[in-house]
Amino acid sequence: MTDNPFNQEPTIEQTAVLLIDIASALMSSGAHTMRIIQNVSRMAETFGYELDLSVFQLSIMMTIINKENPGKLLTQVKKIKPLHLNFTIVSELSALSWETYDKHLPYDAVRSDYHKIISKKRMNSWLVLFLVSAANASFCGLFKGDFTAMAFVFFATFIGFSVRQEMMKKHINHLVTFTSSAFVASLLAGMGYVLHVGHTPEIALASSVLYLIPGVPLINSILDILQGHILTGIARLVNAVSLIVCIAIGLFTSMLILGLEKL
Amino acid sequence: MTTEMIRLVLVDGLMAAIAAIGFAVISNPPRNAIFVSAILAALGHALRFFLIKSGLEISLATFVAASFIGLLSILFARLIHCPAEVFSFPSLLPMIPGLFAYRTILSLIKFMQSTDAVKSQGFILDFFHNGMTALFILLALVVGVSLPILFFPKLSFSVTRKY
Repeated sequence: MTDNPFNQEPTIEQTAVLLIDIASALMSSGAHTMRIIQNVSRMAETFGYELDLSVFQLSIMMTIINKENPGKLLTQVKKIKPLHLNFTIVSELSALSWETYDKHLPYDAVRSDYHKIISKKRMNSWLVLFLVSAANASFCGLFKGDFTAMAFVFFATFIGFSVRQEMMKKHINHLVTFTSSAFVASLLAGMGYVLHVGHTPEIALASSVLYLIPGVPLINSILDILQGHILTGIARLVNAVSLIVCIAIGLFTSMLILGLEKL
Repeated sequence: MTTEMIRLVLVDGLMAAIAAIGFAVISNPPRNAIFVSAILAALGHALRFFLIKSGLEISLATFVAASFIGLLSILFARLIHCPAEVFSFPSLLPMIPGLFAYRTILSLIKFMQSTDAVKSQGFILDFFHNGMTALFILLALVVGVSLPILFFPKLSFSVTRKY
């Protein structure tokens, strides 16, 4: 594949930069550690390198070694961007790694594919907002909430999730974001108590904050621990638990304001 | 199994599907994965609902439903060439024990504010009952869905391979 005279062999520096970029993109899109290591090692093998990788919560450390000339090696450390779940990136980079391996894709092709994948647009944020609100309302229905409760939850989630989207755009601390979003959503859902409408206002209040539960980090953390990446798993777990505590603080604050603690 | 029961199971599955679609789009998955997660959530949640109505304990029923979702997700992953966790994670979210977690916090607040010793003991009981249920459901979900990934690691890591 690389017999094209215009295609120069990539240097070890170029290869290392591409591979560590892919690893950090996978990490910030929400892949679990085992998948990151397997994908990137597979690509390194195709390019003729051996690869060792350490994944932490905020940085990735990687060494690549030339297989034919083991004296040539390079170690790199890269920061990881804050977690912004994007399973399209995880899925397509995973497919790209197999394609690289099976078709022996050259370096340039892999690099341009990688840039194409990470620059894809996300789903329209208004559509996401609507679908999340509908989801949380039907969540309330699953817990045997009546239609009034479901309507309250839809409204509360709509406002609460847009608060979260706006605060995430402004890069405000994620713990503060979760607390405020939970506070706003539960305050609005708790209006059912204040206005005395519907028969199940407590279910509306309880399910109004559930769209914030960090399900993917929770599952990833347990998966990492089960597969032996205990340190990364614990880091993810602490992160997820602190988000849950923030949700509880937001919920607790609005319950105090609404005077619901004496129920 | 009466018609009423069938209707309840269907409604349960439908609402779980809507919930899964909404929670899936937060993580921006590929389009076809969204539909798969809706199907898996409907099947898994309806199965759990049926098991609970048949008298199975909730965390055990969750474990069965989660392993069912995990197995199906590997099959679907091979069909649409997409990592299994992309749609198995969102389809688990409707089973997250949110209401139990909420009751746990509520009983903790009540305990903190109570001055009556007898009532306080009741609140502590509530706290442990709800908290343990939430914890065990969560563990059942994660372990159940990752069992197939742990049992068939080769299979689950090569689903995006097309050649």
